[in-house]
Amino acid sequence: MKNEGKKETEQAKELDKIEIRVEKGKEKLFEVDRRSVYKCVQCGTCRSVCPVFDVVGWESANTRGRMLIIKSLLEGTLPSEDVLPSLASCTTCGICAAKCPAGANPPEVVEAARAQLVKCGITTEAQEKLKSAVMTYGNSLGETQNRKHWLSEIERSQLPEKSDYVYFVGCFDSYRYPEFAKKTFKILQRYGVTLLPDEQCCASPLLRTGFREDAEKIMEHNLEQIIQVGAHTIITSCAGCYTTLKNNYPGELRVISLPEFLAEHLDELKLKKLDLTVTYHDPCHLGRHNKIYDAPRKVIQAICTLKEMKNIKEESRCCGGGGGVRIGYPDISLELARNRLKDVPEGVDYIVTSCPLCVRNLRDAGGDIEVIDIIELVAMAME
Amino acid sequence: MNRILEIDIDNIQVMVEPGIIQDALNDALKPYGFFFPPNPGSSAMCTIGGMIAYNASGMRCVKYGTTRNYVRDLEVVLADGTIIHTGSKMLKSAAGYDLTQLITGSEGTLGIVTKASLKIAPLPQTRKLVIASFENAEIAGQAVVKTFSKGVIPSACEILDRVSLQVLRRYDPKLVLPSEGDVLLFEVDGTESSAREAAEQIMKICSPLALSIKLAESENEMADIWAARKLVGAAVSRLDPTKTRIYVGEDVGVPIKKVPELLKKAQEISEKFNLPAMKYGHIGDGNLHLALFIDVLNKDEWDRLSKAADLIHRTAIELGGTVSSEHGVGAARAEYMEAQWGSALEVMRAIKKALDPKGILNPGKLGL
Repeated sequence: MKNEGKKETEQAKELDKIEIRVEKGKEKLFEVDRRSVYKCVQCGTCRSVCPVFDVVGWESANTRGRMLIIKSLLEGTLPSEDVLPSLASCTTCGICAAKCPAGANPPEVVEAARAQLVKCGITTEAQEKLKSAVMTYGNSLGETQNRKHWLSEIERSQLPEKSDYVYFVGCFDSYRYPEFAKKTFKILQRYGVTLLPDEQCCASPLLRTGFREDAEKIMEHNLEQIIQVGAHTIITSCAGCYTTLKNNYPGELRVISLPEFLAEHLDELKLKKLDLTVTYHDPCHLGRHNKIYDAPRKVIQAICTLKEMKNIKEESRCCGGGGGVRIGYPDISLELARNRLKDVPEGVDYIVTSCPLCVRNLRDAGGDIEVIDIIELVAMAME
Repeated sequence: MNRILEIDIDNIQVMVEPGIIQDALNDALKPYGFFFPPNPGSSAMCTIGGMIAYNASGMRCVKYGTTRNYVRDLEVVLADGTIIHTGSKMLKSAAGYDLTQLITGSEGTLGIVTKASLKIAPLPQTRKLVIASFENAEIAGQAVVKTFSKGVIPSACEILDRVSLQVLRRYDPKLVLPSEGDVLLFEVDGTESSAREAAEQIMKICSPLALSIKLAESENEMADIWAARKLVGAAVSRLDPTKTRIYVGEDVGVPIKKVPELLKKAQEISEKFNLPAMKYGHIGDGNLHLALFIDVLNKDEWDRLSKAADLIHRTAIELGGTVSSEHGVGAARAEYMEAQWGSALEVMRAIKKALDPKGILNPGKLGL
């Protein structure tokens, strides 16, 4: 996809509309790993692939612009709210890192910069709202209901207290798509998988938006729960939870994504063949960030015909749902999703993905083709 | 400001707004069998407006020329708000000063381009790529001079020294590149028979000087090599993550005959200041990209870098060349304008003063 420069869209204006909070008296020292910032030579390769830039059109809303802003903060520009529209609008999809000739990792740099801004007391209202929801209710959605509400009281009481395997449900499957959680757990229970007694948000929203200290508290809580259950392996169906548990949690947890688990147990699942043609959207945090490309395709092809999207695997385009962009800039986020829907091929019955955030964003973008999670396709094939 | 306003195949030209990306323009022209030939490595992200402002060129300049050879007419907003057109759809005009050429390459110092009419060219039927390696860059330079003097004009003629090749291999391990020496890439285009004939001629001329020489076997092999070549300049960190390529002294150019001498001096400068360097570039038009790389956290390396860059600029001028062949002058090379242009710089200053008396357009650039 070629970017064609500044677009005079409503989405570009959304960057100026955000509410910003500046806490007085906070430290203004800005420090991130300099070497990773200076790796960027401003060649602009990222400019041709950044999905946010594609929608917004301003240089500050692409990776090169963000790296330049971070460089200037390192070199003495005082951190201020002026940099937020640039730094808060990155979805951390990582296509820039995949394409960077110099091997820079801009999403990591942007996350580190966001953490520094949090330290300096400079945040958007959306960030604060997200943090407050996670820290108050243990989930990113601010839900007050029991996280296991999708199980009956009897089912909850019968959950094994100890198991080698734990299903980490995630906020979205717990509260927005409990049917996904039910269908997933129904399969996983056959293998003796249990749930954490008190699972909380995986901390991804906090880490992506810069609240590292808060994230550590939540991660510690979840780790204690994992130890309590005695599990050595975590299975999760959310791409955001997967990358966080695998790459951000201390120690080396064994983490398996649901598509990997399903692919590994295909023979035992006794799936029917369905007369369907579907396409598959690679979630950034499962695909590009963790290179899980084959497992979901193997599952889909065991059930029905797979017709690929225009950009797949490493080239896959972001749905716009990650990095705090959906909550901070909903118009930009949904425009990204609409752009992603343009990659859908003709003649498919469903768009399948394996991340509830992608499901939500692609559904909200309002296409004609139904978006489903991979567990729904599997459930159809088991009926 | 990123639309194609008109594709006028009958007059072999297009009218565009300056924000359009070059690859996007070429994607739109492809179904008509035409293309906009200037071909910078950044074609996936550079705008036509930027290309006009800096007279961009790139790898196919050796046959197709630079951006200025394709600009027919510009709509320009002057410093006082006047909007002018600098040309027309005419192929030629003998009426008055050529303001189109004045604005092209003026780096935004004389006016702001808001529309451009550009000549386009028919896409060649085929392209072929000869890959030759040489014991050193100087011998490669001699091979280029020899090829040109025999009347063969390739559509691209690039040099990649052994450090550049190491970087490319790190960037894309699949690439099939010679295992030793410094490499020349000769691209020829035209009909199947004319391209084959030109490729064979190049192989015959260069063979006595080359360590190895071959024709790329497939279109995919060619495409992979060009894609990697386009990004090599930024990929130095792949070789050593503690080093970053710094864009100073990176765009000098000399007359083709002086290329071997420039290559030799560039190597001496790299050694003198003990700075690792990659040498690559459009050797067919005399344009060398000397990529010096340093640890950006080391002050001593910064000091040596600026001395090396200064010397490479002055060397290019001494050899009758330029401090910038295609990247432009901006502020980075402004201090060399006097040395390169002498009293002609005063004429440039007079033009600047006449068109922008208050100095509001891209101030401080071009040494004006």
